[in-house]
Amino acid sequence: MIRLLLEQLINGITLGSIYAIVALGFTLVFGVLGIINMAHGEIFMVGAFVGVMTTGVLGWPLWLSFIASIVVTAILGYLLERMTLRPLRGKKGVSHLAPLISTIGVSILLENLSHHIFGAGNKPFRTEFAEISIEFGQVTVYLVQIVIFVISIILMIGLSIWLSKTKAGKALRATAENLETASILGVDTKKIITLTVVIASAMGGIAGILVGMAFNSVSPQMGLAIGLKGLAIIILGGMGNVKGAMVGGLLLGLSETFLVAYGDSGYRDAIAFIMIILILLIRPQGIFGSKIAEGR
Amino acid sequence: MLDFINPYYLQIGSFILINILLAISVYVPLSSGQLSLGSAGFMAVGAYTSALLTINFDLPIYIGVLAGACVAGILGIVIGIPSLRLTGVYLAIATLGLGEVIRVIFVNWDSVTKGSIGLTGVPQIGRELLTLVRGFGFQPDMIGLKNNQFVYLMVFLLLFIIVIATLLFFVRQQNSRVGRSFSSIQMDEKAAESMGINIMYFKVLAFAQGAFLAGLAGALFAHVMGYISPSDFSYHRAVEILIFTVFGGSEVIIGSIFGAVFLTLMPEVLRFVSEYRYIIYGIMLVILMAVRPQGILDIHLLGRFKGIKGSKGGAR
Repeated sequence: MIRLLLEQLINGITLGSIYAIVALGFTLVFGVLGIINMAHGEIFMVGAFVGVMTTGVLGWPLWLSFIASIVVTAILGYLLERMTLRPLRGKKGVSHLAPLISTIGVSILLENLSHHIFGAGNKPFRTEFAEISIEFGQVTVYLVQIVIFVISIILMIGLSIWLSKTKAGKALRATAENLETASILGVDTKKIITLTVVIASAMGGIAGILVGMAFNSVSPQMGLAIGLKGLAIIILGGMGNVKGAMVGGLLLGLSETFLVAYGDSGYRDAIAFIMIILILLIRPQGIFGSKIAEGR
Repeated sequence: MLDFINPYYLQIGSFILINILLAISVYVPLSSGQLSLGSAGFMAVGAYTSALLTINFDLPIYIGVLAGACVAGILGIVIGIPSLRLTGVYLAIATLGLGEVIRVIFVNWDSVTKGSIGLTGVPQIGRELLTLVRGFGFQPDMIGLKNNQFVYLMVFLLLFIIVIATLLFFVRQQNSRVGRSFSSIQMDEKAAESMGINIMYFKVLAFAQGAFLAGLAGALFAHVMGYISPSDFSYHRAVEILIFTVFGGSEVIIGSIFGAVFLTLMPEVLRFVSEYRYIIYGIMLVILMAVRPQGILDIHLLGRFKGIKGSKGGAR
């Protein structure tokens, strides 16, 4: 009984840390640009496919496919910012819904492109790495789970330090607070915004490879599911709030795992959406948010 | 005889008409500044309500359709009131979440909805109409039509009447106190409120009207197809409906009609397009937002048409 509980706890934390990384990508973009990047889930999916292709078809070692996936998703992030977000910025008469609709466009484009290229079904993600496990007493822990947890912790701490200590991070926060003031004070806001979207997308790519490793399957539809969950998490944790994204991710991961273990697994995917609706209605600013949700 | 009454064309025509209803169901909340991505969810509620009522309780179709639309509309009010606290992207995400929750419920509620397999044997409008007119002693070949031609023609005409009635209603509403309130809320909520417009009432009204329309379209869809499953009402459907309105022109009601007609016809006319439909939709959304965020048709363009043609103009 305890053993099962512990294993579920570990599964939940693994899932939760992946969700947290996805949510960090959302929250970075929202924090700086005030827009919701609906294409983030699909960038994540592309990252996972790069992992599958490089390890499975090309036979690259895992670290190399990590780099490949980061590079590809970073380029996608750059293109996203350059072609869909920048043209909308500062243009007169563009409603605040335009970037949302535009990124929805990118998301269905990416999803269906990979549907055409890779086919509709699940692709297995084979690495011998995924089979290695360690026994702690009666509890089995897979090495992959530890790696995922460590990588996500490193990412979170790194991001926090980068945001609070480095010059670029400070510039980013200044831009997030007020774009015009930051640019008057000499911050190259254009560069900062591009950097933000690129970093967020690369984090999506990392999360994609981690998911591929953890669940051993990748499909074009996974972007949508994970993307919507990422949205749920940042709404839960508070929009644009880094700490909220981490806590929200862990909460969602744990509650999903325990629902599957002890309840009705069919409703697993509904948790995130029910969470969105409840949070928006009860506390629209999220757990850690301070601002009240206003139209942006 | 009368071979030009081709069931295939009529079927596409019926889909266009249903899609027009769906496009308007996005347009109406949008005309009061609310972006709802839940239309697929409301559509599912309408479709399942009507299908279940007619299958399990043998109710006539028109009662089922009305009940489906009303249940969706009531759900729209129930969701609309608390959603008033949300604006812009938050509302969009909440409604998107709502649509997904509804779909997951229909997938999992096996005992009633048959899960992801869906409901088969939903009574079809066309057949019921045929039985009805036969009851009056009328046979389709009396006017030189085959049975299936007659069935599709009747469905098309019925939907046409419903769409025209809906359009008349909303065009009139737009030029009334209600429509002006909607657009003032869309322009500036605070200014509208300070002018004495009851924001809460009109926003919920617009949202519920959208939900009602989506439910109506869903119920009609169920009874035209005769088969529904949760995958008919997925996120993709919601995005498709959104594209009808955004592409055609989200500022004018005729834009939604144009979007629905054009985008339903395009994959049928250009067969090779059909396979890449969503890829094209995606590119289209990106380009549209960058170049022409108000959609193809807007007030200026329609105004120019009016100037050229003199008397004849758009429905605004």
